[in-house]
Amino acid sequence: MTALLTIILSFIGALVCGLMPSSAHRRIRWVALAVAAAGLAVSMVCCLNYSGGDFADLVKADWIPSLGIGFITGYDGISLPLLLVTGLVAVCGVLFSWTLETRANQFYAFYFALIGGVYGVFLSLDLFLLFVFYEIAVVPKYFLIAIWGGARRQFAAMKLVLYSFGGSALVLLGMLAVFFLAQDATSGKALETFSLLDLQQHGEVPREAQQWIFPLIFVGFAIMAGMWPFHTWAPTGHVAAPTAASMLLAGVVMKLGAYGCLRVAVGLLPAGAQAWAPWVAVVAIINIVYGALVALKQDDFKYVIGYSSVSHMGFVLLGIATLNLTGMTGAVLQMFSHGVIGALLFALVGTVIYSRTKTRMLDELHRLIDRMPGIAWVFIVASLASMGLPGFSGFISELYVLIGTWESESLSGWIVGGAGLGILLTFGYTLVKIHEAFFRERKTSDPGDAEISYPAMTLPEKIGVAILLGSALLIGLCPWLLTDKISPSLELMLERFPPN
Amino acid sequence: MDYQQLLLALLPDLLVVVALFAALGVDYSRLRGSRLAKRYEVACQISAAGLIAGLAVLVLQIAGTMPVMDSTADGQLVLNTGTLTLKALLYAMGLGVLPLAKRDHITPQVSEYFALLLLATLGMGFVVTSRNLLGAFVALELVSLSLYAMTVLNQARRASAEAALKYLTFGAVASGFLLFGLSYLYGATGQLDLTQMTGLTDEPVLVLAYLLIFVGLGFKLALAPFHLWAPDVYQNAPTPVAGWIGSGSKIAAAALLIALLQPVVDAPNPKLKEALIPALAALAVLSMVVGNLGALRQTNLKRLLAYSAIANAGYLLVGVVAFSAAGNTSVIFYILVYSLASLGAFGVVAVLTDTLGRDAEINDFNGCWKTTPGLAVAFLIFVLSLAGIPPLAGFLGKFYLFFAAIGAAPEAASWHDGFYWLVAFALIMSVVSLYYYLRVLKAFLVAPADDGAAIAPSKIGWAAGVTLCVLALAVVALGLWPEPLLGLLRN
Repeated sequence: MTALLTIILSFIGALVCGLMPSSAHRRIRWVALAVAAAGLAVSMVCCLNYSGGDFADLVKADWIPSLGIGFITGYDGISLPLLLVTGLVAVCGVLFSWTLETRANQFYAFYFALIGGVYGVFLSLDLFLLFVFYEIAVVPKYFLIAIWGGARRQFAAMKLVLYSFGGSALVLLGMLAVFFLAQDATSGKALETFSLLDLQQHGEVPREAQQWIFPLIFVGFAIMAGMWPFHTWAPTGHVAAPTAASMLLAGVVMKLGAYGCLRVAVGLLPAGAQAWAPWVAVVAIINIVYGALVALKQDDFKYVIGYSSVSHMGFVLLGIATLNLTGMTGAVLQMFSHGVIGALLFALVGTVIYSRTKTRMLDELHRLIDRMPGIAWVFIVASLASMGLPGFSGFISELYVLIGTWESESLSGWIVGGAGLGILLTFGYTLVKIHEAFFRERKTSDPGDAEISYPAMTLPEKIGVAILLGSALLIGLCPWLLTDKISPSLELMLERFPPN
Repeated sequence: MDYQQLLLALLPDLLVVVALFAALGVDYSRLRGSRLAKRYEVACQISAAGLIAGLAVLVLQIAGTMPVMDSTADGQLVLNTGTLTLKALLYAMGLGVLPLAKRDHITPQVSEYFALLLLATLGMGFVVTSRNLLGAFVALELVSLSLYAMTVLNQARRASAEAALKYLTFGAVASGFLLFGLSYLYGATGQLDLTQMTGLTDEPVLVLAYLLIFVGLGFKLALAPFHLWAPDVYQNAPTPVAGWIGSGSKIAAAALLIALLQPVVDAPNPKLKEALIPALAALAVLSMVVGNLGALRQTNLKRLLAYSAIANAGYLLVGVVAFSAAGNTSVIFYILVYSLASLGAFGVVAVLTDTLGRDAEINDFNGCWKTTPGLAVAFLIFVLSLAGIPPLAGFLGKFYLFFAAIGAAPEAASWHDGFYWLVAFALIMSVVSLYYYLRVLKAFLVAPADDGAAIAPSKIGWAAGVTLCVLALAVVALGLWPEPLLGLLRN
């Protein structure tokens, strides 16, 4: 029951915040912080209580038995890191929106509805329930972006939602196919259940059917993970969204897609995964390289981070495509790592820097290293962490993915080469953009505010940075904290793979 | 025939008829010279009392504490849990229309307005409980004629008269087609009782009969290409009436379609089924395309809801083509939850625009989140349910339709077998539909209040408020906990 509290608390939080008067924005932010922190605390308790391998904390109840739908929740080593990252980003999202006043009650109502949906996806062990939570997480995004967003917010919000629902349509079709085609592995009888537990443990979808169901479900989820060529919602959405929403988008929502790919597409359709893995790897490489190249060309600081997210999600997809323990562990770790670092970068650019400079265009920024030294150094450290600096979690996860790719027999050496190229390009754009943003003098002649120093970070901002950067550092130094939980669960999943 | 039993079985209907005459009588005699507001109030109260009494008896009948006869001669009345539940829900929704109709004093013919509402409700109750070709047809005509008359009630509007004329002519032609189809069906089987028709085969005359029936009911359900009346009628009829056309009459027509197709489902020979599937699938695809693409360009909210109704009728057929018990249950469940949401959406529009004095454009609702937050939230729930977003009932309804369609050929193992293509098409179209639903919600919830808003919130009134609350709660509750209703409908 413990884990369910995350979902319940979030939805109650949404209701409470929504019912408070918008003039009480000071009280609302404390309520929001408390709700988010409670969610984080529950995820941490789950993490401490979990001892490896199989699903824990199972809750099973009938929901719509006539359609084979149950209410089944629980978590394992794959969902745990994601629960944690959701909690972390939720807390920091509130901290970085500390000054928000307009329609604050509605903001946090949508915010916590989204977070409740996200927790729900990570905890669902019934395909239908997972889909329901997945869709619950979509609609609030529209309102968060359309109401509180920046330039072109209506367009970006609509685009994001239509892409999301396009993906869910594919998933729903695949889901129905799985329901009707899955048989009991021993008796060959039709299972007719949406329970992920039953489907994974003794279900089997006929091999030929897996060949066409896998791409449906995988692509459906991967759209949300920012897979090329369906990634274009991500940069526009991230850029137009208010800070807290873009933190959630980059930190958590994109992970929903990747989690669905791993848990549902690969977990239920191993034969399909084996057949399609080389193609997934190719797309992942395109994601990594293309994302990095486009990031290099951007003038808007937020777009740089947006495309770097696309690039980093490529590593998650690549890790999944390896279909071996090392690579997939790397994928899950990368989900965590990009979750915290991506959210941090968006927070820094979207709130900390933008609220002071009032511009995000790189060629309008002027020697920020002198004018906001503290913030600049924090940002530099964060982007180096994102680049894969040893000591931070990004390094470990990308290393795992690369080794996994190298070990994988089904993926050719070209893939490893492509990933290597991607890493080089990541170094490239990170350093170039750091230079452009913080060390360069403005190209245009400026009207005299060039020497003004900006105020230092406020307390909530400092705490947010400390939490996110601290967790990236902690996992970078002690990766076994997570890998010890991730690997046994992945091993269980891989055991069920048919021999190649 | 045991008349005492028949009397008991028809007690709900009798109570409604009594209320109908009471409303007319009181309005004509005692309230002759009274103020309009007073007359509306009294007529509404009497009608409500009748429906509530009828509803109470129906609940007793469903619960089994009051004996009902299983079936009368020739299947004129088939009263089982499923049909009685439908009838009860129709009465309940009819009850919900009353406070909406009371708010806006569109016509001095007060008691006729409410009598027609009750007549339509009565007719719907008969349509869903009758399994006799003639009985069901007459009941459906009772519904249609009441609705034609109600469309034209607002005599101050020329457009209203034009829409009613269009509705009447189209509807009359449709009834002709339906009657033709029914008579061929009777001719081929020699039966009026649908429960007695067994062993249908794919004789050409039967195929023709069903095609004619599809045309006739296609008009009533607003399926493309028989949808042309819908946008005008939805836009120009008084808003509560449009809501009732878009919900109650849809339930009646869909239930009749399912009842008429039941012999095909039960027939041991699947040939007739196979002959009818292409026609139904074509209607489904066409309706989804016309409805969803048509709605994209609408600026008038009620017209947009009309196109959305066309699209939803298309989804409905996805469950019909399954030709299975699950498919039939899914169709009834879907039309119920669709109607709840549609009635709710019209209710919100009615409450917000009855003082506006003209047709409401989508932009008129800008900033409702600030001026009328409760209504905005209710509207959010109704529209998201129409769009099929979980955890609302609309999603489950759609899911069940698709589930039934794929389940019709569960062993189909490749994507080009079974109804995967039809479900895929419906899913793509639901993604398209999201665009226009969100555009409406944008006005209600996103746009700032000073941005061209023309809605001055008037007093909602407790009855209308309660109605909208109950509808919204029903939409949420049926999404979270559909099993009890599904259980009742399966019987």
